[in-house]
Amino acid sequence: MSGREIGAGVISAEPALCLEGVGKCFRLYHDVSTSLKERIINWRKRGYELFWALKDIDLTVYKGETLSVIGPNGSGKSTMLRLMTGIMKPNRGKITTYGSIAALLELGAGFHPDLTGRENIYLNASILGLKRKQVDRIIDEIIEFSELGAFIDNQVKNYSSGMYVRLGFSIAINVNPDILLIDEVLAVGDASFQTKCIDKIMRMQREGKTIVLVTHNADIAASISDRILWLERGEVRMLGDPREVSDAYLRAMRTRPEGSEFGTRDIVIEEVEIQDERGDPQIRFSTGDAMVIRLRFRATRRVDDPVFGFGIYDQMGLMVYGTNTRLLKVDIPCVDGEGTVEFHLPRLNLLDGRYYLSVAAHTRDGQVNYHWLDKLYFFDVVSPGKESGYLAMDCRVVIYNRSQTGE
Amino acid sequence: MKEHLKKFVAYRELLYNLTLKEVKVRYKNSFLGFLWSMVNPLMLLVVYYIAFGVIFRLRAEGMVRYEFYLLAGILPWNFFSLSVVQAVGSVVNNADLVKKVYFPREVLPLSYLCSSGFHFLLQELVLFVFLLIFRVRISPWILAFPLLLFLQACFAAGLSLFLSAINVFFRDVQHFTDIFLLAWFWMTPVVYPVSFIFESLPSWAARIYLLNPMAHIMLLWQRIVYNSPVNGPKAAYFSPTGFTYTVVLSLALLVFGYWAFCRLEGRFAEFI
Repeated sequence: MSGREIGAGVISAEPALCLEGVGKCFRLYHDVSTSLKERIINWRKRGYELFWALKDIDLTVYKGETLSVIGPNGSGKSTMLRLMTGIMKPNRGKITTYGSIAALLELGAGFHPDLTGRENIYLNASILGLKRKQVDRIIDEIIEFSELGAFIDNQVKNYSSGMYVRLGFSIAINVNPDILLIDEVLAVGDASFQTKCIDKIMRMQREGKTIVLVTHNADIAASISDRILWLERGEVRMLGDPREVSDAYLRAMRTRPEGSEFGTRDIVIEEVEIQDERGDPQIRFSTGDAMVIRLRFRATRRVDDPVFGFGIYDQMGLMVYGTNTRLLKVDIPCVDGEGTVEFHLPRLNLLDGRYYLSVAAHTRDGQVNYHWLDKLYFFDVVSPGKESGYLAMDCRVVIYNRSQTGE
Repeated sequence: MKEHLKKFVAYRELLYNLTLKEVKVRYKNSFLGFLWSMVNPLMLLVVYYIAFGVIFRLRAEGMVRYEFYLLAGILPWNFFSLSVVQAVGSVVNNADLVKKVYFPREVLPLSYLCSSGFHFLLQELVLFVFLLIFRVRISPWILAFPLLLFLQACFAAGLSLFLSAINVFFRDVQHFTDIFLLAWFWMTPVVYPVSFIFESLPSWAARIYLLNPMAHIMLLWQRIVYNSPVNGPKAAYFSPTGFTYTVVLSLALLVFGYWAFCRLEGRFAEFI
């Protein structure tokens, strides 16, 4: 995918959103002293630590521009969006917005289950700052976009989760603000609805709207934005050309762990690499490809009878597959110093989606973890077929029917 | 605060829509629907009438038409306590909205005030029908109805704004409010006439009693609807000083409540 064509939209030198030296600080409370006695005892002790979610951000988003914000979890992306909408106030610096602003942070926030879809449109749109007359003008468009048809006059509590989200998205995107802030909501709905949403966003780009999009998906970011901002630990790591930033980001994400890890560290897993059949690092696979998971470890002392293993999880955190050296009946009498373990998967029988990988080294009985890297790595699978679910299974169809068998 | 007020005015339709939602939703899926607005106070009336009218014989104390006296006070008191109780938790209970969408947060507590106000007006309407049916003489004080409604709304709004903002940081407020309102109810002349206080308490205690602004507001409601001077002098009390004090206090509380709300609003999304 390539960056957006220059000149596809109308980008001016006029600012739409200005962040000057913006910093946001949260208090992380250690232990909430609940009783009055504790409070009195800890009277002078500060019970919290300051955590700067955003540090000294300078950013100007220009009118008509689409800016994507990418970054690992906890990098401050969502905090930044919340500051832009005014849900939170920055502790330092100043944010100036020019023009009306609407945010798609959570779809359907504020829906009331007992009201009908139509009633909820009016309620939700007014939460987003619209007047009744304005809603009257766009309500048909919203209903059409949501593909709800006659269900629009049913109570929202009877909706499926897909319908719920579609309605929320339709309202938010049709509110038509000057500046639209989108947080990770493109991942909703089925593929055709997603395409529709991206189409709508592109149409808004042509209309000269300013869009700020927060996403995990660097590919989507690269394909629809004019610039990408890469945030890390609350600071701007890189800002500029979408292709360059997304490439650099993906490269960094492949090698650098992100997430939680724990263990006694008698054995340390120093590097994890997901490789294709040629042994090159890879994070995009097709169903049926071969995959190698390679762990480089170092034992800080002699460890007897360790077990190495891995687990593959879906985006909800459910384990799709997991195994280890004990289950594979490979005995490792002892390790000391450096070494590598490779798990070879000749056929990746997974369907479309992003999968997370955990790797671990632990004792035979699993009671003590030497080192556990929990869902720190991920890879994407694209499947050529249209099957749904997680697993690619061989399936043959046989039909018995009078008209076809000719009986 | 001025800027907040401007935004609030821009979002006035949201207040209307949220109020409408509250009104629609409250009795949705119930068989009696809006009738519950009537049934509820009528049940209260029966309970208090039996307890205080029949058992404690307040009627014998020269309270002509004790049932109307009760209704005159219970309806506005219910409006007050219901709106405050709902408003206190309003910001916390709408956490997903507050965390995800920007809008002036004061519409949340105020929408409960408005929806309770709507039910209150319905109830008052029925009460007036009853007054006409039972040929109770209506006094010219009735003209003060909108003013008194406004006064009580100011007081309730100020209190609701303040409490709902504080409740985000100390959830205890919510629980405390329930108990406090119960105590407050008995510290206000709703089921008993105010003369009881003057007769049984020493004058310094009665003076403290009259510091309660809701007492003055209730006395006015009773004057308007029950026409207290005619229906037995025991329930009638009107002091211009007390009235002025209540007006000033209500307006001050409204300004203070709104000010406090605006000050704390910026940190709601973090704390919820």
